[in-house]
Amino acid sequence: MDANERIQAASNFLLQSPPGEINDVLNDVRNIISDDDSLQHGILPVLKEYNLAQFITVDVPGTDHQSIVSEAARIAASGLRAEGEEQQQQRFLDPRSKTSFVFDHLALEASDPQTVEPDPESESFRQALETAVLSYLSAHFLDGVGAVFATPGSPKRFVIQVVANKYNPTNYWSGRWRSEYVVDLNEDTVTGKILVNVHYYEQGNVQLATTHNISLTLPPAAVTSTPSASASKILALIADEEGNYQRSLNETYHEMGEKTFKGLRRALPMTRQKIDWDKVLGYKLGAELTSSKGVFGNS
Amino acid sequence: MADVVDSMLDLMRRLPPTRTEENVAALIGICPDYADDLLGSVDQPLQLKTDRATGKEYLACDYNRDGESYRSPWSNEYDPPLDDGTVPTPKLRKLEIAANEAFDTYREMYYEGGVSSVYLWDLEDGGFAGVVLLKKVMTAATPYEPSGSWDSIHVFETAERGRQAHYKLTSTVMLHLLTRKGSEAAGPGVEKKQENKGESKGLEGWKREGETSLSGSMTRQTEQDWPLQDSSSHISNTGKMIEEMEIKMRNLLQEVYFGKTRDIVYDLRSVDDLEKARRQRELQKELVGFIKR
Repeated sequence: MDANERIQAASNFLLQSPPGEINDVLNDVRNIISDDDSLQHGILPVLKEYNLAQFITVDVPGTDHQSIVSEAARIAASGLRAEGEEQQQQRFLDPRSKTSFVFDHLALEASDPQTVEPDPESESFRQALETAVLSYLSAHFLDGVGAVFATPGSPKRFVIQVVANKYNPTNYWSGRWRSEYVVDLNEDTVTGKILVNVHYYEQGNVQLATTHNISLTLPPAAVTSTPSASASKILALIADEEGNYQRSLNETYHEMGEKTFKGLRRALPMTRQKIDWDKVLGYKLGAELTSSKGVFGNS
Repeated sequence: MADVVDSMLDLMRRLPPTRTEENVAALIGICPDYADDLLGSVDQPLQLKTDRATGKEYLACDYNRDGESYRSPWSNEYDPPLDDGTVPTPKLRKLEIAANEAFDTYREMYYEGGVSSVYLWDLEDGGFAGVVLLKKVMTAATPYEPSGSWDSIHVFETAERGRQAHYKLTSTVMLHLLTRKGSEAAGPGVEKKQENKGESKGLEGWKREGETSLSGSMTRQTEQDWPLQDSSSHISNTGKMIEEMEIKMRNLLQEVYFGKTRDIVYDLRSVDDLEKARRQRELQKELVGFIKR
């Protein structure tokens, strides 16, 4: 492998990091590649890609809340160049506090806050959605962060993002819930996805990874009333869907435990006894199974 | 700085178990010098092979590999054929044949299907070591049926001490479970159609599609002494140890897969309304205060 391919492989590892473990993965990768110079240069785009995809949360300077760093939060770079900014530093938006900031993808910190004037055409509906999202978060998430973004140039399209993280390295587990909904009031549709990742790694490595894609045509009642009534109605639909999904996940767990897990390996043989190993070398399996069927019926 | 192999093992403990093979290959590409260390310490899903001589299936892993060839436990032949492939001594091969028969019975009793293979090799200090492999795959007949696989790798070493033998056993179980769901699979037969009809109105209008994957591996070790009558005692001794270990690990996997990971999801999101619960608690406090007064 040449240097480029090594960085490519390292990038691939970083993108697979479980919730809250990107620094552990980065430390491993640094030691394995042992070429900090080319690594530092090569992996910055990947860290950015990871952070945006994973809805990394950040403390917004000058506020007491967190916002989400994601593709929807990214402020188009063209505007920056027009201002003559040389460094190509990426700015992100926290619509709740109307603040933009520079984000450091390695340190995961925000800096240089600036006030941003929202689009007056979309702001009242966006705010209504935000209020509804925040009350939904406090009802169903223990540690959730949410954000609602308007779409530049498309005042009737909004992106709702929700993320909840729990990192517990002392007990070897971590988890992340992400959901995203695109509310399009031109088409009266909501399309979204829920992604859950859990990593449990005490003397092992067990991971839950789920995807759930959804789409919905909004009922007329949800779009014809006032912004705040519409927003509550839309969030009620989302809350129902997320609740139903979580319950269906429970069913999936049950099904995998009852069907797949039991089907792969029995807890005990059909005889309901452990194997008699002293006899096993001369064991006539067919005869044993036939006789056990006779005793236990169709157990 | 930490040892490179340690970093590789730590990395493999964090990356998704569904992509183990791909990631091990990438690590070997980065550090070819550590290939043997890595292949010897990272368990990968067992490969199914068919013995050309007997037509029976067997399992391939690092322990029955010589170069690019794998030895079958049934015919003792390498595939692709090797003239000078490593094989056990005649005495050990006799024990290997008996062990394969015994664990084939064990496999049928517990797995009711699947494939097993046992490989033994001599150790330099006079004892011997072996690996017992078991694999079962459940494939989905339709897209929305659950599928899964179970791979057991039990590596043991034994040293005879007079009429006793000491055993060191390291067991790994890899378990993958996958379920896909879609709107079409929302309910059985008739209900399904009704739901689709209702798509234009309100809540019934959600279209859904997704998958749930639970996958991983867990490893445990044990050391035990067992009495030794003759060489076949090794089979019943390791058999009892492996059976006990698999029962223990099956319980552990059940707890972690269906208990722990599910609890963490509920730590992230609550099905019940937390605000309501908070208000109720406050109301209760007020009432308690009122009664005390």
